[in-house]
Amino acid sequence: MKSLKILISLIVFALFLSAGVVNSVSADEKEGKALVESKKCGSCHKMQGPPDKTIADVLKRKAPDLFYAGSKFKKEWLEGFLQKPTMLRPAGTVYLNNIKMGEKKDEIGDVKPCASALSQKEAHEVTEYLMTLKEPTMKAGVIVDDKFSKAKAKVLFGQKEGCSGCHRDKADSGGTSCPTLYNAGERLNPDWIFDFLKNPQKYDPKIWMPRRELSDEDFILLAKLIASMK
Amino acid sequence: MKKVSLIGLSVMFLGLMITPLALAEKAEDNYKLYCFQCHGSKGNGGGINAAALSTAPRDHTSATEMKKLTDDNIFTAIKEGGAAVSKSTFMPPFKSILTDDEIKEMVKHLHKLCNC
Repeated sequence: MKSLKILISLIVFALFLSAGVVNSVSADEKEGKALVESKKCGSCHKMQGPPDKTIADVLKRKAPDLFYAGSKFKKEWLEGFLQKPTMLRPAGTVYLNNIKMGEKKDEIGDVKPCASALSQKEAHEVTEYLMTLKEPTMKAGVIVDDKFSKAKAKVLFGQKEGCSGCHRDKADSGGTSCPTLYNAGERLNPDWIFDFLKNPQKYDPKIWMPRRELSDEDFILLAKLIASMK
Repeated sequence: MKKVSLIGLSVMFLGLMITPLALAEKAEDNYKLYCFQCHGSKGNGGGINAAALSTAPRDHTSATEMKKLTDDNIFTAIKEGGAAVSKSTFMPPFKSILTDDEIKEMVKHLHKLCNC
């Protein structure tokens, strides 16, 4: 009888504790959402779908869409980035808006990272909120952290699909019209990389990265390679 | 009265059937967003990605270069990618973004650029 009482007390205590944890998480999310609103993040970032469907709308875009940030980013990276934003797209969010048209070749004009750096506390709260913004159709657990043929993946990345033509695969080489990939492993959720590679137009119908027709096996190889770039 | 509303509904239904799912973009606008990155704002191959490509992007303003290609060649290269016409794999297949009609318009736009 005595042990039953102790067990019940323990269960009640555990429930009390878990309720506290849940409440504190939702409080951070709530604060984060309020910050996103007060700092007017939505004036540059799209915080809700659907994505832009016309080129005219894409050209008005000032910053990347965030309405699937919780599927796309790694939480630890996001919290650090929000405290000290850096350039992830060498030519800005929409490269076309930032090129200087030269006589013989184009150059990238003046592009700057997001000027809205947050404190550590704010960054934590905003991250908690952003991580709740998910792409409902994305499958989790597709890309597992195990051995893969890096040599085969590199042939796909460099020669067959020409990824480095538009993305920087090293800090000082690769294309500049799309996000850098040499640090993608720190930044991106591997399952999101796979989902995006399979159909970039699902996330952004007018994005200048066309869909490739590859087997799931090849998409997995590419996703694993990109997730390993750190 | 009933007959009139039935006819009205049929017309509306037919209208919906023939409305394309996505509005076609102008060839000039598609060229800017998708081709400038490699082929450049002048179309001469001087895009911001050009330095990262092992094969120089084609100069669309060169009549000599462009005359080497048939319209079918150009259409296939845009739709299926460079590899489909034994050219650079850095030219990706654009069929997930551009419709066949938009690609046909793009072929016409390229003729304007090379004036050929």
